[in-house]
Amino acid sequence: MKKFWALLLTAAMTVSVLTGCGSDQGTNETESETGVQTETTGEEAQPETEAAADLDMSKTVKIGILVSDATSAEALAFRNYYTEYIQKQYNVEMIYSDELNDAAGETSAIDTFITNNCKAIISFSSFDRAAQLEQCDGAGVYYAVATGTLTEEEYETYKGYEYYVGAIGPSLDVEFETGYQMAKHYLDQGMTNFAIFGGAIPYYTEMHIYRAAGMLTAMVEAGGEGANYKGASDAGAIIGQIFADGEVTTGEIGTVNVMGYVGGYDMDDAWFGKCAQMAQTPDLQVILAVGNGSDFFGTAIAGTDVKIASVDAYASSYGEAMEAGMLDYLAGKFSASIGPVFIATYRAALGSPIRTADGNALALSQGYWIAESADDFNTYYAVDSSVESPAYTKELLDTLLTADYAEFEQFVNAYSFEEIQGMN
Amino acid sequence: MKTNNSNIFKKIAGIAGIPTATLLIMVILCASQGVKLFETEGNWILFFRAAASVMLTTFALSLNLNSGRFDFSIGSVSLLSSVISASICIAMGLPTIVMLLISIVSGALLGMISGAVYVIVKLPPIIVSLGVALFYEGLAFAITKGYGVSFVANGELTSFPSVLNYALVIIFGLVIFIFIFDYTQFGYDYKALLSGQKVSVNTGIKEIPNAVGCYTIAGALMGVVGFISATNTGTIQMALNFGSIGVMFTAFLPMFIGGFIGRFCNEKAGYLLGAVTTAFISLMYARLNIDASVQQIVTALILVGFLIYLNNENKIIELVMLKKFVKGKVQ
Repeated sequence: MKKFWALLLTAAMTVSVLTGCGSDQGTNETESETGVQTETTGEEAQPETEAAADLDMSKTVKIGILVSDATSAEALAFRNYYTEYIQKQYNVEMIYSDELNDAAGETSAIDTFITNNCKAIISFSSFDRAAQLEQCDGAGVYYAVATGTLTEEEYETYKGYEYYVGAIGPSLDVEFETGYQMAKHYLDQGMTNFAIFGGAIPYYTEMHIYRAAGMLTAMVEAGGEGANYKGASDAGAIIGQIFADGEVTTGEIGTVNVMGYVGGYDMDDAWFGKCAQMAQTPDLQVILAVGNGSDFFGTAIAGTDVKIASVDAYASSYGEAMEAGMLDYLAGKFSASIGPVFIATYRAALGSPIRTADGNALALSQGYWIAESADDFNTYYAVDSSVESPAYTKELLDTLLTADYAEFEQFVNAYSFEEIQGMN
Repeated sequence: MKTNNSNIFKKIAGIAGIPTATLLIMVILCASQGVKLFETEGNWILFFRAAASVMLTTFALSLNLNSGRFDFSIGSVSLLSSVISASICIAMGLPTIVMLLISIVSGALLGMISGAVYVIVKLPPIIVSLGVALFYEGLAFAITKGYGVSFVANGELTSFPSVLNYALVIIFGLVIFIFIFDYTQFGYDYKALLSGQKVSVNTGIKEIPNAVGCYTIAGALMGVVGFISATNTGTIQMALNFGSIGVMFTAFLPMFIGGFIGRFCNEKAGYLLGAVTTAFISLMYARLNIDASVQQIVTALILVGFLIYLNNENKIIELVMLKKFVKGKVQ
């Protein structure tokens, strides 16, 4: 009798472990290639368009998603687009990793995806992209980078790998330009007293360093003759200087003044004290944030004329901050921007990978939607937050299922709000 | 008479020595960089906020830790209680004081659930509290759909930060804590259980309600900590995978300092002075814009140095006495 109960318990546990794997999906039962019954979405997959008719999309494709951030507005918006829109439109099952903290976690998560019979992996995690790529290639699983790019050196190494789909996201040049345009927006208005929030600069996060370098370059240009940042007067030297220091140094850049700087996300008493202190610097006019600014400085500037400019995503809280005058400028990633990388990955998994004319993996850059007023924000947010009719709808994405490289590239490059609306 | 005076001097030195010495060092460090430690109202607000927040966290941590119950869930209680109170107040347009009250009640309730789980499942408190921390973090994430709570633009709910309000939190927190643990039957039972659980239980003290009560009080205290943190910036950032545990570690240094000062006065007042000491250090970090990595090294060195002193106190005293003795002989 004891044996019976032990067997029953073991069977129950095995079933619960097996069914516990996976994601928050629908309940349609589909049969995978291995013949094992798994619970997959498959639920409301829409009919194929003519363009996609040649691809066999009858089987559910499992795609693993690596994430190192599960709580930021940007990460949540991306997840929402995949799980609430893409997954319901295409015959795919998205399996998300836990919030990853290091390269070892990435390796372990990829192992889990492979065990789960994932045909492809889209990575939002960048602790060790080279290792991720090697692991996926070794296992014969397609790998793509979303909202980021490889370094030139990495791209040269991996562009020919069969299972490397490519990377689509803001390149470092775009990040630089984003910071540059943000600072220029205020410099053109005659403002000269700035503070910079450096976000992950102390952790040497490239995109934040490039955004800050863009800001400083704009200041050097506006600072008059002989203006320089610690002796550096061109973009390359400024980027190098920030990399060398791991921070932005305050001081005068010609006629422009960097009056304060805070970096990191320590979130302790001392750090919040630094933020408040910087925001309340006498004569300060603008806080330029390489990431989210209004959440950390909003209350500190309440009742003053100090303006905050941020780089992040389109979340409702930023709309409220803009309405209240606490956020003045937002360079935001739009959630549907990860649509093209999904299509590229999906096509690869279906046996129709898209490559450059030289047969290499994709390396395409996208930019941000810039909101300079609450009205701008509301217009963009209405589209960005929609799960019925997002920026990139199924109809638009379907055109990429059979697109050649040139068409694909053209589609991705036309990322501005107006251009995308024009496509619909 | 001479002995009495000497005792009073020792007591005053024991109580005020560490905070005063710390203040002096911080003032000198700032002055060496041409900065005043306290210059603006914002500096005072930071100091009082840090002192209030750390004091309450230290109370909450020490409450269970002194009884051998390591509670990793206090940070998650702080997080979830502030999510609950802020969400309700935003939705219903309620004022700050109501948010504080809801934070206290929800924190107490969450603490009580944590304590109840501990006494029911009878697993080691470390394991239980880790499970509870994950559960509460997940719950906060689910309630806010991961977005956290933002009320930056809500002038009413972000109006709390001020020297007076934080000072009131410190005074009320200290008085209530001393009252509960020094002047009520619950506090007497708590102390009896600390000194000998088996004997206390044999005399009729019920250890289970006392333990759940401790968790409930710790939860209420952390509710206030969550409220202070949320109203400071008007945002509540989500934490997953034990991300909320860090709050607990802010209380270790003040707890050890407080334990030392507690030899000369009420231990709870010692915790307050420990919190004041760390608030001076936090303010110095902010005033001098000290890098986070340097902060961590300095804080770790102070903590380790203090623990080394506490563990070798007798040897150090003996060494000093021996030196004095040798010096006397030579003369």
